Amino acid sequence: MRKTNPVRSGLLLLVIGGAVGYGIGLGIDLLISGNLNLAGSVPSAFALLLSVTAFFFGLYGYRGITRGLVWQVVGTLLGAFFITGIRALTGSSNIFGSFFFSEPAWVFGALVGVVSFIFGVGAVDDWMKWARGIDTPEHHEDEPGWEKYFYVSLDHKVIGVQYTVTALFLIVVGGSFALIFRTELAASQLQFLTTTFRLFNQTGPQFYNTLMSLHGIMMIISILLGVSGIMNYVVPMIIGAQDMAFPRLNAFAYWVAVPASVLFLMSLVLGGFDTGWTGYPPLSARAPVGMQMFFLAVFTAGWSSILGSLNVIATIVRMRAKGMIAMRLPIFVWASIATSIIALTATQLIGLSFQLVMFQRLFGLGFFDASKGGNPVLFQHLFWFYSHPAVYVFVLPGLGVISELLPVFVRKPLYGYRWIAMSSLGIALVGFTVWAHHMFTSGMNEYLRVPFMYSTLLVAVPTGVKFFSWVATIWGGKIETPTPMLFVLGAIFVFLIGGLTGPPNAAIALDLHLHDTYWIVGHFHDTIFGGFVFPFFAAIYYWYPKATGRRMNEFWGKVHFWMMIPSFLVLTFGMMRIGLLGMRRRIVDYDPALGFDTTHLIMTIAAFLIGLSVLIFFINFFRSLKHGEEATGNVWNSRSPEWQVPSPMPVHNYEVPFEVVGEPYDYGLEGSKYVEFASPAEVPHLHPPSPAEVESIK
Amino acid sequence: MIHSQEKSSVLSQGVFIFVYLAVLTALEFLVAISFNSVPLLVVVALIKAALVVYYYMHIYKLSLESEIDEHSYDYKASTNRLGLWLFLVSDSFVFGGLMVMRINLLGLTRPELNQLLGLAVTAVLLISSFFMNRGETLMHQGDRRGFLLNTAITFVLGLGFLLGVVLVEWRLAIHEGMTPDSGPAGAAFFMMTGMHAFHVFTGLILLAIIMANGRRGLYDEQNYPIEAAAVYWHFVDVVWIFFYPALYLIGRLA
Amino acid sequence: MRHFVIVGILVIVMSVLTYLGLDAAELMPVAASAQADPIDWMWNLQVIAMSFLFALIVVPMFYSLIVFRRRKGDTTDAEHIEGNTTLEITWTVIPLFLVLGFAYLGAVNLSDTLRADPNAMVVKVTGIQWSWIFEYPPDPETGLVVVSDELHLLVDRQILLQMTSSDVIHSFWVPEFRVKQDLVPGRITELRITPTMEGDYKVRCAELCGTSHAYMEKPVVVSSQGEFDTWMSEQLEKAKEAAATPEGSGQLLVAANGCAACHSINGASGIGPTWSGLFGHEVELTDGTTVITDEEYLAESIKDPQAKIVAGFETQLMPTYGFTDEQIANIVAYIKTLR
Ligand code: HEA
Ligand code: HEA
Ligand code: CUA
Ligand SMILES: [Cu+2]
Repeated sequence: MRKTNPVRSGLLLLVIGGAVGYGIGLGIDLLISGNLNLAGSVPSAFALLLSVTAFFFGLYGYRGITRGLVWQVVGTLLGAFFITGIRALTGSSNIFGSFFFSEPAWVFGALVGVVSFIFGVGAVDDWMKWARGIDTPEHHEDEPGWEKYFYVSLDHKVIGVQYTVTALFLIVVGGSFALIFRTELAASQLQFLTTTFRLFNQTGPQFYNTLMSLHGIMMIISILLGVSGIMNYVVPMIIGAQDMAFPRLNAFAYWVAVPASVLFLMSLVLGGFDTGWTGYPPLSARAPVGMQMFFLAVFTAGWSSILGSLNVIATIVRMRAKGMIAMRLPIFVWASIATSIIALTATQLIGLSFQLVMFQRLFGLGFFDASKGGNPVLFQHLFWFYSHPAVYVFVLPGLGVISELLPVFVRKPLYGYRWIAMSSLGIALVGFTVWAHHMFTSGMNEYLRVPFMYSTLLVAVPTGVKFFSWVATIWGGKIETPTPMLFVLGAIFVFLIGGLTGPPNAAIALDLHLHDTYWIVGHFHDTIFGGFVFPFFAAIYYWYPKATGRRMNEFWGKVHFWMMIPSFLVLTFGMMRIGLLGMRRRIVDYDPALGFDTTHLIMTIAAFLIGLSVLIFFINFFRSLKHGEEATGNVWNSRSPEWQVPSPMPVHNYEVPFEVVGEPYDYGLEGSKYVEFASPAEVPHLHPPSPAEVESIK
Repeated sequence: MIHSQEKSSVLSQGVFIFVYLAVLTALEFLVAISFNSVPLLVVVALIKAALVVYYYMHIYKLSLESEIDEHSYDYKASTNRLGLWLFLVSDSFVFGGLMVMRINLLGLTRPELNQLLGLAVTAVLLISSFFMNRGETLMHQGDRRGFLLNTAITFVLGLGFLLGVVLVEWRLAIHEGMTPDSGPAGAAFFMMTGMHAFHVFTGLILLAIIMANGRRGLYDEQNYPIEAAAVYWHFVDVVWIFFYPALYLIGRLA
Repeated sequence: MRHFVIVGILVIVMSVLTYLGLDAAELMPVAASAQADPIDWMWNLQVIAMSFLFALIVVPMFYSLIVFRRRKGDTTDAEHIEGNTTLEITWTVIPLFLVLGFAYLGAVNLSDTLRADPNAMVVKVTGIQWSWIFEYPPDPETGLVVVSDELHLLVDRQILLQMTSSDVIHSFWVPEFRVKQDLVPGRITELRITPTMEGDYKVRCAELCGTSHAYMEKPVVVSSQGEFDTWMSEQLEKAKEAAATPEGSGQLLVAANGCAACHSINGASGIGPTWSGLFGHEVELTDGTTVITDEEYLAESIKDPQAKIVAGFETQLMPTYGFTDEQIANIVAYIKTLR
């Protein structure tokens, strides 16, 4: 395998692969439809699949992720041709569809593709062995250097990084989509997404809907991956475990997310889908094939989230260090438990609801088809039963990060530890009972509305406990504000605004005005940024030294923050303002008479500034890998165990186990300690081989 | 080493539980065809489920103390036990969702199905559960042949159930005009039985695996995989304990 | 202690300022319906709460950031305070009662917006991709029914909209009226509005419903009895004489079914081919062949839109409508008039 600058050869092959794929697609398209359609879907679909694959081939050679992608491409084509063949044999009327393959062919192909990827990348090798009664070593040692991030590693730290980077990648893609459609929104009337515009068989307005929907869902998936990223990297480390409870399941959970991301991109080229991320039928029952790719992608990514959280719970229950009783858990662990409970259970319902629409499309099962006695509103209940609790999946870890970092930077104990810990569980549990607040205008049974208003408003109470406790923690502290702390404070500020804009939506009559306006869009960008994006950046700046042994550049970190927060506030305040005045969601064009043009223009500029700040973050992130200042010690002077050992973290975390001897956040208490490491003499064996057999059910 | 009468008592317990379940199932059926009281049917289903979950799936094992050494088999086994149960909790939300869908779309009417056939397949699955439990207990007692034999019987019965549903039931329904796209009844029936059948299918694969490895002579000491497969199999049974009345018994004909 | 006093004062000042600022910003559009009053009242209440809570959190936070910031060269930790249960309980219980109060008011507030007037005028509404069809009560004498894509309302007279959709979910929203309600296929949803201010508004579809969701807007006119009656009688007249000629009744059908949502009659490009000068031409189809747009071609294209698709319009498939042959003939007759 060439070691000479892999990135360059990767990019080179990216271009070549894209061109070749495009050519092939064009040829096939020409053969089938007879006319040459340069902006058609088939060429782009092939270009996409081949270029991505080729890139990783150049970067990495034919192994790990490359092998997975190749297998996915082949699997997809085989599966599609299989169905196409069957249709041909059974002499069905339309063997091919408007996107070369027929819809069932695409769906089956995509499914086979995902499974092939899993096998190709090697995420199930060991399980296959166990099934055949063959033992495998408990751990496979990873090769040093960056390569290990591109194949199946069982090390929770590697997997954590893989999750995080994938999440950042999706944020870039989804964010860039946002920038594109924000440019369209900068002024009323259609700028470039006009009715004569054609791309991937979509007119301008259709393409807007696709971009907007993909922006929504890709950002949400990126959050879920980011959440898994932090939890994977941090949780085992701070509870003193060597790894997650089920390392193979952990790897599996990550690797299913990769083909899912590919499916998202495929949905873009296969006609897109114009339903928003909520995919309500009947609209989603009529959308192009892209809809099915979207359903499959979410379904697959959903499994990643389910299995990941299962693993987190098992790890926390079973693998805590000696003496780490419930009330001495690091607060982030409590947040992780609460998050995982939601992700483990509720996620099944979004999978199911999408599955039902898929079957309605494929086999005509009329669940949500009124003309067949189905019920469109039922879908909304199933969907929101997940998708509301999901919003707390986004924020709980973020709020956990806030609570985890605050004491370190104010040098003061976390105020009301128990209350904060319990409030996470409270939010999670109450969060299960509020879903119908998204459906106040949906025409659901009248008597449901008021109870759901009560339950919804109740969530404000535990959330409030967090806020008040944070303020009390900051109060009278000795506050330092390095970059991570800046992002923590920004998170509190932004999430407060987001949170406070929640209760108005819960007040039913008022929501009749607010529903499906940019006010809501503003509400959730604030909650999501405050509850996830800012804490996520804080976490990255904070634990970066732990992972790399270097610090990210402080100056550029501050630039990132001071550029991001004002432009972000401008963006969302603009959203809320025009929303209240009558700006509907999900519209490609707005009535000039409303006079929103200036506001929209400003919002678009703000959006690009956010993008720029993220760009700065990325440059800083990658530059610091080589040039960041050395930081192998306890950079933030924290009490938490992971900082008591040198950075970067050793492969099996702690060579010698530690015991919890005190409270986690006793800053300012003379001579108090949280953890105490056993002297190496007392350690019997570090990690002897033992039958991995036992995991064979997983 | 366990004493012989203990051995037999463990086995006979399995038999008793099976008898209870069989009686309850019969009772359920009679209630349905006679005065069809929904609350009663729900109660019966809950009791049946509880019996299986406690005596066949040994849920209490979750609370057993395990060794502390992180590398001991015992420790890993009980971690895996927790993992498996978490997975089942998650999975049951799928079936819960399907149940909600059925209630929302059909209410107190039921699809037009052959109730006797339903009873037959249910019986088959129930019996398979009994043999599964027997096979597991025998292996714990070191009787490999017994384990293999009973697991094989379980496998055959499971296959019988699968084919009974997919080939006989579905054919019949379609023949009677209740196609998947005919309306809510058809949609609910095919979706629910389909999803369940898929789980039965995966269960069969697990059974095949433990039989193959059992033949290879594994599981003398380290026999958690058997427990895992068994628990999963019983879970599929529990799901059917609720789906069966939901599809065949509750309410009037649509 | 000193700190608490200062912060206390600042919080009050801050919340007042925030509230006044938000109030001055006139966040809501003009209120033009009786339902808007309770809703705006609730909004005002929420703004007060938001302003106060915002100040309550933000002021102490920034105060600490400035006053308690780490001084140069100080490396010691801060004072060791673990928490205070009574305090925690207070800020759990007070918000609890607050939200319960809010919820109660919200319920009352909702019932205000739903108050029904027995002699409300009933208008049947159908949403279609991407237009609105309003069906007015039949005319007492002639029994003729006015069907239009404009909503004309009487000021201070409650109107009961009985709404449904013929394809996907839409949502009826006039920002000045505040209230919003989805139109769901297969069921009838109701919405009560009492306009209180004469003027021209727009109903804007608020639920994403596909390609032209953004343009699913139609005029809403609130007027006095007099103007309303004149408009009504005009419509009735139109309906009468139009019903006489085929192209006339064709035009009515077109209006009633919102064909204009996709087919312009002035040559502008749209979702579907424009109708101006459509008749009697040669057009190219997706399969490369060409056809003459004569009566039977148009008739076929209306009956079975997918039969022949004009090149460039593959992406947006037209739904099939249940027109009778006569109706189709009428529509074609109307299209012929659009030279
Ligand atoms: C990060 C995710 C996140 C979070 C945390 C929240 C938090 C909340 N959300 Fe939000 N919400 C979304 C993400 C989120 N939301 C998204 C994505 C949508 C749109 C989905 C779509 O349609 O696409 C949405 C939509 C949405 C709706 C539907 C609107 C509509 O479409 O008509 C409603 C209605 O009730 C709502 C309410 C709330 C409430 C009450 C909270 C509460 O949890 C907020 C609690 C916090 C506070 C209240 C502030 C701090 C508390 C105090 C200072 C204590 C004192 C407070 C009081 C006494 C009030 N949200
Ligand atoms: C994690 C969640 C998340 C995040 C981070 C964002 C980030 C952004 N969102 Fe989005 N958004 C959603 C979740 C999110 N959004 C959801 C769920 C919806 C609802 C969808 C629906 O209705 O179905 C939505 C909808 C939504 C809308 C409404 C669309 C509509 O209703 O028609 C708008 C409009 O302005 C918008 C804007 C933005 C912008 C400008 C950003 C910016 O903050 C993005 C900035 C980030 C980047 C730009 C990435 C960095 C990019 C690079 C490094 C590339 C190079 C950079 C440059 C070229 C400058 N979002
Ligand atoms: Cu109709 Cu949007
Ligand atoms: Cu919600």
